[in-house]
Amino acid sequence: MGSSTVHELDQDFINSFRSPATAGNRIRDLNPISFAIIMLSCSVTAIALPGPAGPAAICLLFAVLSVAAGLAKTFLPLYGKLFAVVGLILFVLRAAFLPGNHILWTVGPISISAEGIIQGLNFSLVVMAVCGAVTFFFAVTPMKNLMLALEQRGVTPRATYIILASFQAITDLGKNTKVVMDAQKSRGIETEGGMVRRTTAFLPILAPVFLAAMSQTEERALALDARAFNSRNRHSHLVSLRPVSSAEIIVVCAVALGAVLSIVGAVFIWN
Amino acid sequence: MELVSLRNVGFTYAYGDKPALTDISLTIEPGLLYGVVGLNASGKSTLCSVIRGIIPHFHHGELTGEVRIMGKDLLDWDPAELSKSIGYVFQNPFTQISGVKETVFEEIALGLENLGIEREEMIERVTVVVRELGLEALIRKNPNELSGGQRQKVAFASIIAMDADFIIIDEPTSQLDPDASEAVFGIIRQLKERGKSIILVEHKIDLMAEYADRIIVMKGGQVVMEGPARDVLVSDGLGDAGVPYPEVTELAFALARAGKPLSSVPITRAEAAQLVSDRIKEAPHAHSAL
Amino acid sequence: MKHKKGFSALMRSYGRLTIFMIPIGIATNFIGGQIAILLKLPMYLDSIGTILVGALCGGLPGALVGTISNLINSITSPTLAPYATLSILFGFLAGWLSKHGVFKSLWKTLLASIPFALIGSILGGLITIWVFGGLGGSGGALIVGALVAAGMDLNAAVFTAAIPMDFLDKIPTVLVVFLILKRIPTRLFVKLPLGYVYLNKAKTTSTTSAVNPVDDEDDELALG
Ligand SMILES: Nc1ncnc2c1ncn2[C@@H]1O[C@H](COP(=O)(O)OP(=O)(O)OP(=O)(O)O)[C@@H](O)[C@H]1O
Ligand SMILES: [Mg+2]
Repeated sequence: MGSSTVHELDQDFINSFRSPATAGNRIRDLNPISFAIIMLSCSVTAIALPGPAGPAAICLLFAVLSVAAGLAKTFLPLYGKLFAVVGLILFVLRAAFLPGNHILWTVGPISISAEGIIQGLNFSLVVMAVCGAVTFFFAVTPMKNLMLALEQRGVTPRATYIILASFQAITDLGKNTKVVMDAQKSRGIETEGGMVRRTTAFLPILAPVFLAAMSQTEERALALDARAFNSRNRHSHLVSLRPVSSAEIIVVCAVALGAVLSIVGAVFIWN
Repeated sequence: MELVSLRNVGFTYAYGDKPALTDISLTIEPGLLYGVVGLNASGKSTLCSVIRGIIPHFHHGELTGEVRIMGKDLLDWDPAELSKSIGYVFQNPFTQISGVKETVFEEIALGLENLGIEREEMIERVTVVVRELGLEALIRKNPNELSGGQRQKVAFASIIAMDADFIIIDEPTSQLDPDASEAVFGIIRQLKERGKSIILVEHKIDLMAEYADRIIVMKGGQVVMEGPARDVLVSDGLGDAGVPYPEVTELAFALARAGKPLSSVPITRAEAAQLVSDRIKEAPHAHSAL
Repeated sequence: MKHKKGFSALMRSYGRLTIFMIPIGIATNFIGGQIAILLKLPMYLDSIGTILVGALCGGLPGALVGTISNLINSITSPTLAPYATLSILFGFLAGWLSKHGVFKSLWKTLLASIPFALIGSILGGLITIWVFGGLGGSGGALIVGALVAAGMDLNAAVFTAAIPMDFLDKIPTVLVVFLILKRIPTRLFVKLPLGYVYLNKAKTTSTTSAVNPVDDEDDELALG
C-alpha cells in the first residue's frame, strides 16, 4: 500500500455512525431485546395453542415475517431444511412407533396408528415452531447488534468479547486447518484409506492449529489491554441502535399478552 | 522530571534458563524519540515490557532493581492506569486486530470506546488518524481480512488514535515496503513534534539515523550504549553489538580506511550529500578523491 | 447477565489468558467436528476444545466453552440446545480430572474416557427421552427407530444406540487432549489457572505479585 494513490475519504460511511444503525426495514430495526421477547412469546404461544393448527400457524407466521423482513432468501431455505430433516424424523418416528387403537396400516413390526400421526404432527410442529423462533431471530439480528444491545443493558464487554471473538476464531482456525491439512497431505500424511489410518491423521491436523492459536493468546491479551480493554471507565459505543419507540413497546406487550392468554387458554379451555 | 528511570534492573522470565535483562540502568527523558537497536533476542521487547509495566504485571518472572515510571515505583502502579498512560504498538500485526469489529474504522475506534470517549469526538479522532496514515481506502474493509502490512498500519493507527503522551512502538515497519516505512516514520516524527515521548524499536538503521534523538544499543540483555544518535551511530560500540551502521556511515568509514576521510562522519543521506559536495568543491581537480 | 459484575471479577480471578482461551476452545470444538467429517470418521470429536480448556483453565471456563459451542450450533439446529447440559458437565469434569492430575498419565486419561462416555450416553439418552420422548431429531434416532422396529423397548433402544457411539467418540477425544497437553510450552502453562498441574517444578515463585488488583468497580452499570 504505497502512498501513491490518494483515496477520497468515504464521508457517507463515516456519517453513518452519527445516526443509529439501520437495515432499512422495520422488523430488522427492532431492538434485539424487543425482538427476542417477541420470538420467545411466539414460542410459548406455539407450545400452548392447540395443535396441530396452532403451532402450524406460528410456523407460517415466521415464513410470512421473513418475507416482510426481506430475508426470505436466507431464512426459508434454512427453515425448509430443518423441516425436511429434523421435523420429518420427529414426525415419521412417532407416526411409526407410537401405539394407538386406530391402526391405519401395518408393515412388518411397524403399525401406523391415527393417534401416532396426530401426536407426531403436534410434537414435530411445536418443535419446528420453537426452532423457527430461534433461527428467525438470528437471521434477523446481526450478532454484533445483539451484543451491543446487551452491553447497553449492562452486560460486561468481557462477555460480549468472548462471543464475538468465538465467531472470528472459528473462521481463523478454520482457515488454518485448511492450510495445515494441505501441508500434511503434501507431506504424505494419509487422509484417505482405512479407518485407522484416517483416525491417525486427525491429531497432526488439529494439534498444530490449536497450539498456534494458543501461543497467540499472550499477545492478544496484551494488545487488547493496550486498547484499554481493561479500563474501568464506562465504555462508550461508536455504533448506536435505534431508540425503542412507543409503538415498539406496544407491539412487544401485545405479543407477550398473546402468549399469556394462550397459556391461560391451555390451562382452562382446550386442555 | 525524567519519564522513566531504571536502576540495576534485571529480569528472568519464569522458567527461563537465563536472564533476559541484566543490570540495566537507564533514564528516559520526556519529549524525545529514543531508538532501541540490537540483534534478535537481545532483549529489546523485554526492555519495553518493563518500561510499560507488562513485566511484572503480566509476564511472571524475577524482576530485580528499581523501575520508576513518571516518578512512581512500577510496583505501585495500577496496571489498568499504566495501559492508558503508555501506548504500545506490538511487534506482531496478526495478534493486534481485536477480531470483534467488522470494519477498519470501528477497529481503530475500539480503544476510544474502551476509554469512554464520546461519539462525535471518537469519529473526529479516528478520521484524523485515518487521513494521517492514508488508510482512506480501507475504512470499510474487514480488518480480519487485511494483509500483514495493512494490519500493521491499522494497529499503529489504533494506538495513535488513543493519543497517549508516551508511546512505545515495537518494530512498526517489519511488514512494510520502504515507502510505507518512511511514511510511518514521518508520523512518528510528527508525534514527537507534538510533544510526545517515544521509544521505538527498529531494525532499519538508516531510518533510525534520520529520525531518532537518542539511541539505546542492546546486546545479550544488556544496554551497552545509550546516547545521542549522532554519537552512538558512529561509535565502535554499535558494531560490537552486531548492529549495522547506516549506509552513509559505512561509506565514510570506507573512505577513512582508504586514507581519504570526510571532514566529519555523516549518519544521514543529507549530511553525506553535503559533505561529499563540499569535498568536490574544495578539491575541484582531485577527481581521484572519490 | 444479572451477575455481570460477578462475571468480570470471576474472569479476572482466572488470570488474563482464560478469556482468550475460551474462543479458541470453541473454535477447536468446531474444527474438530469438521475434520472428523472431512476424514469421514464415524465419531463426533467435537468436544476436544471443551475438555482442553477445562483441563487448562478450570471447570467453569470449560463449561462455558461447551455451552457457547452448543448454543452457536443451536442457531442453525435448535434441537441441539437441550444437550448443552452435557457440554457443561464435560467442562466441569475435565477441570476436576485435570486438577487431580489425570491428564498427566496416559492410562489414567484413557480411563477418563469412561465417565465422559457415560455422561454422554446416559445423560444424553435421558435428555432424548425427556425432551423428545425418546425419538430425537438426529440421525441417531433412526438407529433407535430400527432397534424399536426390531422389537426392542424404546428407552432401552435409546441407550443401546448411544453407549457404543459415545465410547467410540470419547476414547480418541481424551487421547487427542492428552497428546496436545503434552505439547504445550512451559511459558503458556505458567499463565494458565491449572498450568501448575503440568509444571513439574513447584508453583512459580515470582518476587513480585503477578496478580492484578481486583477491580471492583469495573462497570458501574447494573442491569435494572
Ligand atoms: N514471554 C516470554 N517468556 C519467556 N521467555 C521470553 C519471553 N519473551 C522473550 N523471551 C526470551 O527473552 C529473550 C529476549 O527476548 P526479546 O523478545 O526481548 O528480544 P528482542 O530483542 O525483542 O528480539 P526480536 O528482535 O527478535 O524481537 C529471548 O531469549 C527470548 O527467548
Ligand atoms: Mg522484539
